[in-house]
Amino acid sequence: MELLTLTHSGYPRIGDSADEQALRRTIAQHDRGERTDADVRAAENQLVLLALEDQQKAGIDILTDGQIRWNDPVSHLAGKLQGVHTNGLLRFFDTNFYFRQPLVRGRIEQTQPLIVEEFQWAAHRSIQPVKPVVTGPYTLASLSICDNGSANKDGLIMGYAQALAAEVARLASSGAKLIQVDEPALPRHPRDMALAREALGLIASRKGQAELALAVYFADAASVYVELQAFPVQTLVLDFTYSPELPHVIEKEGSTKAIGFGVLDGRNTRLEDHASTARSIERMLARVEAERSYLTTSCSLEYLPRDRARLKLRHLTSLKKSILGEAP
Amino acid sequence: MSRSKLSELRVDLPLLPTTAVGSLPKPEALLKARADFARGNISHEELREAERAAVKWWIRKQEELGLDVLVDGEMYRSDMVAYFAEHLSGFEGGGLVRSYGNRYYHKPIIVGEVIPGDPITVEWWSYAQGLTARPVKGVLTGPYTLMDWSFNEFYPSRREACLALAAAVRQEAEGLIGAGCKIVQIDEPAISARPEELALAIEAMKIVTSDLPAYFITHICYGDFESIYPKMLDLGVDNFDLEMSNSRAGLLPLFRKTPFTKDISYGVVDVHSHLVEGPAVAEERLRHGLEVLPLQNVWVDPDCGLKTRTVEEAIAKLKSVVQAAKALRGYGGQISTPTRSSFSP
Repeated sequence: MELLTLTHSGYPRIGDSADEQALRRTIAQHDRGERTDADVRAAENQLVLLALEDQQKAGIDILTDGQIRWNDPVSHLAGKLQGVHTNGLLRFFDTNFYFRQPLVRGRIEQTQPLIVEEFQWAAHRSIQPVKPVVTGPYTLASLSICDNGSANKDGLIMGYAQALAAEVARLASSGAKLIQVDEPALPRHPRDMALAREALGLIASRKGQAELALAVYFADAASVYVELQAFPVQTLVLDFTYSPELPHVIEKEGSTKAIGFGVLDGRNTRLEDHASTARSIERMLARVEAERSYLTTSCSLEYLPRDRARLKLRHLTSLKKSILGEAP
Repeated sequence: MSRSKLSELRVDLPLLPTTAVGSLPKPEALLKARADFARGNISHEELREAERAAVKWWIRKQEELGLDVLVDGEMYRSDMVAYFAEHLSGFEGGGLVRSYGNRYYHKPIIVGEVIPGDPITVEWWSYAQGLTARPVKGVLTGPYTLMDWSFNEFYPSRREACLALAAAVRQEAEGLIGAGCKIVQIDEPAISARPEELALAIEAMKIVTSDLPAYFITHICYGDFESIYPKMLDLGVDNFDLEMSNSRAGLLPLFRKTPFTKDISYGVVDVHSHLVEGPAVAEERLRHGLEVLPLQNVWVDPDCGLKTRTVEEAIAKLKSVVQAAKALRGYGGQISTPTRSSFSP
């Protein structure tokens, strides 16, 4: 059994140093007409490099570009699709982070790539593998509103799924070995599992040789765990901070898929006790049939200050060593 | 009911009272003073003087604009949570985290027991009230939001952290009321984020406001109101300040279904857009709200604090707020608005 550490998805795009605050400064200057679009791109590039560097220094096995270029996990994707406009601010689940809500005014169509260029840019500059992450069709649909009320929920989900499937195909052919689809809305709506599974099926059909991971978070996954095992993905990335029962459910049910153990809280600065966390993971690993599993945080690290996000990543690496019996 | 409470408190307000929510943009001179202070170029007292000047400037400006209930604009606060965390024991400062787009805030960390200490905002409120004959709101951040928007490394549970903070906020509310404040706003924007914790938020608010002689407002925004309405009406306050513009008045159908039983501060301008809505737009939004809400229970204001806008944008938006209220106030009893009994079940 191989155990790898991976960055969940986002990473703070601000920190305490001048370098780490350059993007905020550049965007503010851009808003005042003092900087160009190219200046903003350059500042984003620089911050992606810093995010990759932080992850590499922490010893993480599979990195992300930190979603540094994203205004939020919703409008960054939906805003690039034809038929979708972005509207007012709305709270992102139970966080203190806000996204621009998609307003669907017509048939959803993809007329431009969504994140493949961002992925390639980071992947070419990283020694470690980089994992692209997209927000899933069910979550995008559940956070959207329809202007004319004509689109039904199924149509909306499948519209987003079609667009994301095309992007996943591009990512796979661009060299992505592991692609993550984030569906935080899913465990909150267990009745829609079949619909979401069908949408994921569409995406899975375009993944080529890539491994597909489904990430659910911000809700208790224990009650839907058995159904998640039937999704057409190779890996389930799970948030353990909402689910006191989840370790017991996994120990009982086992897993035919790789598990991404999101055991370190991505939303609190407190560092978890290694010994008890390691023991719990060891018990679950004994029931995982896949050849590989992952250690990660419960969600994106963007909810933490950068210095604390760094500590969490190091804590993750050190947790892996504890489990593998290596010297920390 | 709330009108009678205001009368008991001897607060005389017109129909459709106008107010700002809380924060206002810091004028250029204050921004420079804060930057100078951060670089060590001016003293703490010089920064205080700049903050006082900014409060005075905004009090005059609000009077000039014709607002009925004024705010100090929070010229001396960094952020609605960090400011209180800086003044309460048990907290340490945290780094920056993003709230949206290119906006970030310092998120504090609870590292020890929160113990109520010296008054935090009372002196600032007294200063602002001393500058004007119009009522000035005291504005505090509520215990649930202080808990939810901080990292917690000390308390074993969110509930314990929240209730400890409630005791501290109550002490601050008592301080304001003791100084003469009659309208106290307890901001709880986080309440709508976790419907399953609404009971905790209600319990905490009860600790803050129960049996205190003041008219209490709470500001809630940007959340899943469908999950907490009408239960949220159990919060121990007289007035709910809600963002009705950004949400495109999406709450009105809920109010049609289950009548809103308290006063409401109705947001008629969006605070997250550089676009300044003219008075006609604000008036139309307000008119739309008055199709559902009784005239005598409605206050008029922006959706949320205006600190993220420029001073010019904030003034223009507040002007639209005042003009919209005045336009509809002018109709007096002629405007067709529902009474409580006119709601269909």
